[in-house]
Amino acid sequence: MTDVPESQASHSFQDRIVLGLVKFFKAEWSGAFLAILILGIAIELASSGRPFFHPSNLMTILNNSAAIGIVAGGMTLVIITAGIDLSVGSVMGMTAALTGYVASFWGFPPYLAIMTGLGIGLAIGAFNGSLVAYFGMPAFIVTLAGLSIWRGTGHLSTGAQASPKLPETFDYFGRYNPFAGLRDAYKEGTLTGGWERFGAFVDDNWINFFRTFQMSMLIFIGFFILLTIIIANTRYGRWVYAIGSNEPGARQAGINTPRYTLITYMFCSFSAALGALLFLGRAPYAKSDYGQMWELDAIAAVVIGGTSLFGGRGSLWGTFMGVILLKLINNGLTLAQLDTFWQMVVTGLIILVAVGLDIVRQSGNPESVRKLLGAIAAVMAFLALMTPGAIFLRAKIAVLEHNASVDLREAGTQLAAGQNARLLSPDEITQFEAAASSNLLAMLLLLALLIAACFVVLQTNRVISFVLAATFIAMIVPLIMMGYQITVPFLVLGAAALLGSAFVHALFAKARTLDVNAA
Amino acid sequence: MNLKFAGVAVAALLAGSAASAQDVIGYITKSATNAGWMMINQGAADAAAAEGVNLVSVGPAFQGDLSSQLEVFENLVAQGAAAIAIAPVDSAGIAPAVNDAMGAGIPVIAIDTGVAGAEVTSFVATDNYAVAKVQGAVAATQIEDGQPIIYVTGNQAQSTGQERKNGFMEAFSAARPNSEILLVPTEWNSQEAQEGVEAILNSRQDIVMVANAWDGGTMGAKAALENLGFSAGDVKLVGFDGAGDAIAAMDEGWVHVDTAQMLYQMGYQGIKAAAAAARGEDVSPRIDTGFFLVTPSTSGVYKAMVGIE
Repeated sequence: MTDVPESQASHSFQDRIVLGLVKFFKAEWSGAFLAILILGIAIELASSGRPFFHPSNLMTILNNSAAIGIVAGGMTLVIITAGIDLSVGSVMGMTAALTGYVASFWGFPPYLAIMTGLGIGLAIGAFNGSLVAYFGMPAFIVTLAGLSIWRGTGHLSTGAQASPKLPETFDYFGRYNPFAGLRDAYKEGTLTGGWERFGAFVDDNWINFFRTFQMSMLIFIGFFILLTIIIANTRYGRWVYAIGSNEPGARQAGINTPRYTLITYMFCSFSAALGALLFLGRAPYAKSDYGQMWELDAIAAVVIGGTSLFGGRGSLWGTFMGVILLKLINNGLTLAQLDTFWQMVVTGLIILVAVGLDIVRQSGNPESVRKLLGAIAAVMAFLALMTPGAIFLRAKIAVLEHNASVDLREAGTQLAAGQNARLLSPDEITQFEAAASSNLLAMLLLLALLIAACFVVLQTNRVISFVLAATFIAMIVPLIMMGYQITVPFLVLGAAALLGSAFVHALFAKARTLDVNAA
Repeated sequence: MNLKFAGVAVAALLAGSAASAQDVIGYITKSATNAGWMMINQGAADAAAAEGVNLVSVGPAFQGDLSSQLEVFENLVAQGAAAIAIAPVDSAGIAPAVNDAMGAGIPVIAIDTGVAGAEVTSFVATDNYAVAKVQGAVAATQIEDGQPIIYVTGNQAQSTGQERKNGFMEAFSAARPNSEILLVPTEWNSQEAQEGVEAILNSRQDIVMVANAWDGGTMGAKAALENLGFSAGDVKLVGFDGAGDAIAAMDEGWVHVDTAQMLYQMGYQGIKAAAAAARGEDVSPRIDTGFFLVTPSTSGVYKAMVGIE
């Protein structure tokens, strides 16, 4: 027995890194975390001058994640029980609207309005949960019906009208800043001693840090910590997983599965109502069209976080990361000022990549990881290729469209204003032809590189990986001479991925021996 | 959900045919919950009452849902509506259905958004592009050249969103060529507007104005400013629509310019034209319902005109 600490103590620095990696990738949230990290770095590089990795921006992302994050937290538990709740967006919209409605038009004091909202959430959850747990109706259908019913009820009961601005109590769920009072007192000069120094510190760092330190973020983080503790330490938590992985088995083991299913749906709708309160804390008014499509965002966040849609497996921190990833995409792409339509495409691609990372992680198979790294190198080669390739293709397509438009016009088709824009002047045609031919050589070079990178995905020879990595690096010089400096980061990253892929098998073998020792 | 709207349309048509067969006018709106659209819908309802026609109002399941609009449209044609007024969620997508209806002799009136690729009996709308140019030109006078601003766009896959953005950008850039315009893309969703404006304001201290393609965006931008602790007037807001809450925010000093479409008029004139066309009268192919430039000095006149107290 005394061997174990000794062998751990004797681990070299290298071994400890390997062990750390193994531990990291065993965590269910690591896929989403990795995606956040990679995306964050990419955005930081793309949005020069508009700081992304900045405490106040990161806190803005957390603030804006809070409402949907809490909704997704409830959804996680439902999905772990192998269920689904498609009504959360509508429940959120309806409770937001009704809470604001009774607070402003019925004259309810804020705390009573808040209780009303949370109570409505619980009641809807009891309704959904009873139908699923005791009447055996499919959760998908029950909550799909709920999606329509609760949205309609919200519109009906408030006339779909926006409420006036809500009382300040609601700010405590959202934009309230715990340091704002201190800063005001400092500015009025009513502080003394240590408090005054602290007040000065807050005031100096107001824009950089304290301005976005708001309740939304604190409630969001607190909610996940609390929920994780409950799930990890109670019978309820264990049974949620048991119901999801094998419901008949759980019932035979004596678990009252209908009751715990009901509780889970009630908790999910309650989270939707709590999410509504957090949203109201930052929104201009209460309105029944809030929360549209939130059910899809919440499910996306849960799945990105490594939770299985088939139930029985998943983690709350994965969902936490998943929500942040979704909001980070919006925030980052806005800061990078990417074109609107590209934002849609890129958002979808990032979700695919995040889930793909998670699948490879779960497989725990060195060959999959090696292939993934090879694929990353291929994608990098593709991105480098598109630098000259995009210019080449656009020029070719523009000329093609011009010719087709001319043909159409000669055939007697009437072209609308937007369609006429495809016609080019003779000058433009020569310009495009020149652009196409000047980019042709670099494009062919990089195309060859891309094909070679694709080949690496299919083979396991370490030497070929090294050779290709060297080729990636060697390409940099001629490409810079041709004026494509922008391809350098892609090529460096591609080379790094290839070098990494050469060591994957060795790393896994090492990890296995260490794991055995540690165990 | 499509079924629900189709069902409503059929039931209403049956009820209508019992009263007077030829006076049923279909009205397909874009949204029943957006504040601006509720004003248009009110105008439509009032016109129907004044003209003595039976108005069958149906809306899409959610804003931007083309398939449910198409289905409702085809149901109205099949049930023999005397005329159809429609606010297309997608100007090109609705075109084949409009062609079929016009071919069958049913007049079609487009409200707010035009139809691309099909003839309509009449197009009743504010010229979004022209109004957005006024918005951009007036917004430019509020700031110095070189000061950066944010523009919150509408849905760029729809002609309304495209025209408003293009009009604003052209007129603003012509007057303030050195001002940077940072875009916050949205699909007419005030939450997207709020989060985008918050992200940019947080990383840039030099923004002096937030201009918006619609007033839902204006209210989202105002919430973003409040979340970051700004006071009214620190960053100027420019709206589009003249919605009641934006005008109220103008009175508090947040909003400095708003270009109001005559939303109520759009619905009223649209249904009036539909009723006239249903009776076989000639209708002008383009009815411009105009706009009103609301500034703090003209907001009193505007409020009296549209009935905001």
